Amino acid sequence: MTDRKPIGVLIVEDEPEFISRFSEAVLGDPQMRLLGAVSTGKAGLALLDAQPPDVLLVDLGLPDISGIDLIRHAARHHPGCDALVVTMFADDTHVISSIEAGATGYLLKDASAARIAAAIHEVREGGSPISPSIARRVLARFRGPAPAATALPAAAATPVPDEPSPLSERETELLRLVAKGFSFDAVAEVLSISPHTVVAHVKNIYRKLAVHSRGEAVHEARQMGLL
Amino acid sequence: MRHGRWACCERGLAPLLAAWLLLAAGMAWWPPAVAAADGQAIAPTHADLIVTDSPAPPAGDDPRWQPRPLAQDEPGRSAWYRVRFDAPATGPDGPLVLYLPYFYGGGRILLNGALVAEVPHTTATLRVRWERPLLLLLPPAALQAQGNLLLVQVHAEHQGSSVSLPRLEVGGQNRLQPVFERRLLVVRTLPILTWVAGSVVGLLVIFIWLRRRDEVLYGLFGLAALLWAQRTSTFVLDALPTGTWEAWRLVYLLCTGGFVLVMTLFVLNLAGWSRRGVTRALLAYGAIGPVVFLAAGEGPLMRAWTAGLLLVGLGMAAVAVWAAWRQRSGETVAIAVAVVLGVAAGVHDQLVATRSPLVMQWLPGWGDHHLFLLHHAANLLLLVMGVLLALRFVRSLHAVEEANRTLEDRVRQREGEIAVSYQRIAALQREQAATDERQRIMRDLHDGLGSQLFTSLSRAERGALDSGAMADTLRGAIDQMRVAIEALASEDQDLDATFGNFRFRWDARLRDAGITPTWDIALPDTPPGGTAPLGPHDALQLLHIIQEALTNVLKHARASQVAVRVAFEGTTLAADITDNGQGAGPPPPAGTGGRGRANMRNRAQRLGGQIAWHAAQPGTRVSLRAARGVPGADPPSG
Repeated sequence: MTDRKPIGVLIVEDEPEFISRFSEAVLGDPQMRLLGAVSTGKAGLALLDAQPPDVLLVDLGLPDISGIDLIRHAARHHPGCDALVVTMFADDTHVISSIEAGATGYLLKDASAARIAAAIHEVREGGSPISPSIARRVLARFRGPAPAATALPAAAATPVPDEPSPLSERETELLRLVAKGFSFDAVAEVLSISPHTVVAHVKNIYRKLAVHSRGEAVHEARQMGLL
Repeated sequence: MRHGRWACCERGLAPLLAAWLLLAAGMAWWPPAVAAADGQAIAPTHADLIVTDSPAPPAGDDPRWQPRPLAQDEPGRSAWYRVRFDAPATGPDGPLVLYLPYFYGGGRILLNGALVAEVPHTTATLRVRWERPLLLLLPPAALQAQGNLLLVQVHAEHQGSSVSLPRLEVGGQNRLQPVFERRLLVVRTLPILTWVAGSVVGLLVIFIWLRRRDEVLYGLFGLAALLWAQRTSTFVLDALPTGTWEAWRLVYLLCTGGFVLVMTLFVLNLAGWSRRGVTRALLAYGAIGPVVFLAAGEGPLMRAWTAGLLLVGLGMAAVAVWAAWRQRSGETVAIAVAVVLGVAAGVHDQLVATRSPLVMQWLPGWGDHHLFLLHHAANLLLLVMGVLLALRFVRSLHAVEEANRTLEDRVRQREGEIAVSYQRIAALQREQAATDERQRIMRDLHDGLGSQLFTSLSRAERGALDSGAMADTLRGAIDQMRVAIEALASEDQDLDATFGNFRFRWDARLRDAGITPTWDIALPDTPPGGTAPLGPHDALQLLHIIQEALTNVLKHARASQVAVRVAFEGTTLAADITDNGQGAGPPPPAGTGGRGRANMRNRAQRLGGQIAWHAAQPGTRVSLRAARGVPGADPPSG
């Protein structure tokens, strides 16, 4: 692990206080390299393309463009990049939107330096954090057809039986446990798997959510004649 | 409405009326006997007569034999008639028979000295009125080709003092049998039918009326039918013992009078002319009859009473016609026609019975047949009344059905309205509840988070806060906000989500601090004992208390383990936070700690409960107990 190439991190955050907080956390970890810390979305976009990072820390409330656009751009053009969205309470609707746009995790704004570094390591090692409310929303999202499909008669005529739930039984069970507030360790214990597997599962779920939402967007766009 | 009544009555009444009139006319005008124009039947108009009480036939050369016309009253109690005839050749008409249309007083019939028939006759102990026709086979052995001698002994009727031999006929059986049967139908079968049917229908309708006293017409009709049925028994009972006969006669007179009076009441009622005075007067008149009969027998007084009934009948006919003219409804017209026919039949019968010269002059021969029409007309009248009532019954059934339909519609409509208003009320209540909840949480934020921030600001401004204390304060504020968000996030009152988020957050935080948490949170969606579920505000209080307790553990307890338990104990909400730290220790420095406990007490009170700190071995247990009210009863709140 120590031999590995350091993790390149790009920070896009408009509040100087948090730029310095996150920067310090990254700089304080010898296995990380700070590629840049910018306060606007456009600057972030430019840096993203100029020097694709391993991990993108992005706040959603940017002054120029939405952080979600940034995440979407990263997911499309730099698939090797993990996007972590910075959130205050981990229950934002924005967190789900971010995950659907391709984010692989979130970071609480008041997290300690150690926790920030740990989150970055976790996401590089294939894991993702998840909160009960996110788990709940993900479960709800995959339960039954999308609302648009039931509203449109044309879509109702062509239901999506070939698309039951993309989640595996194990993933669903995991989400249920997380939604009840079980910690990863507790979930791992109940499911008889290692905590690492749990976070890997979560990352997988996020990926499915992003693919699913993208597929849905394409489907809807076709329905509306845009494609 | 009037049009409807017409249509309805025309449909029901017109064919019935027409059929009845045809039937009655047919029976009345059918010649009961055919004159012996073709020589096949012998219908003598005269016979020799001797008025005598002697049971033995007078000798053939008795000088008292006098030729007399038949069917004419002869004074006397008993008499012998003699008819000579030559037997017509028996051909396709069959054997010779003797036909007598009636034989009122009874008697004996002899052919050439041989007894052909004997009918009971009036004696001191027996009253006879033989309405039935007779058809007697003349014994061929006793019959001669020529010069047959028919001797008939006749007796006076029950109360009469005159005798009469009806117009008899001799002819082939095939020829006279139908004549006999027609007469039998009219004077015997129909009365029996009337007797039985009138009694049954009358009792039935009276039974209906007993259950529905307001339907006076039903009662009157039932009574009329019953009275008429009893009166008709006159024509069915040929012979009665004298004692019984007196009582029966009274019944007969009562029934006749009662029928007329009840009919009059019916017609008055139908015409809408019911007056209490008139009704009483009619009933009083009806009551006079039997009194007169019991006091003076069938004398002139009784005949005057009967004549009075005729006047009442005429008055009834006038009312019926007048009502028909005024109202022109099917009902009144039908009743008027029937009543007029009835009165006409009554007058006709009276004229025939008294052998009025009018009948003799205008309808020669008709009176001799002694055909009485009143009971047929009365049957028609009863039939019309019955049909009218049946139509009324059907109409009222329709009306009831219609009313039920209307009622159902109205009920359905009201149900819809009630459902809508219920929904509106429910929506308003939900809105009100949401507003209340919002206001409580706002107040909570204001009193809790707000005051904490202002106090901290003030202390920071006067330099009383070092950076560590400042961080603590702000972290506390953020924690409060998180708890509020967690409690409010559960829009659908999803306690699992609320407590899940809380547990998740604190699990990581406690573990980071080296404390192993144990969670035992059991909050069912529907609490036991029908108690009210925890609302967001309640959840908020509970989470604040637990959070404060956990913060204390984190800051002061130096514990390695903490157990959080939330559950219902019966209808009591119980929360215990137990750590294995160093115990309550010295009282916390003035300020934070003390205020923390006060806040927890406050929140416990808002939950309607108590909070207590117990020393565990080792460590501390914070215990909350809150009795939960049932919905409807206001939960105790601080």
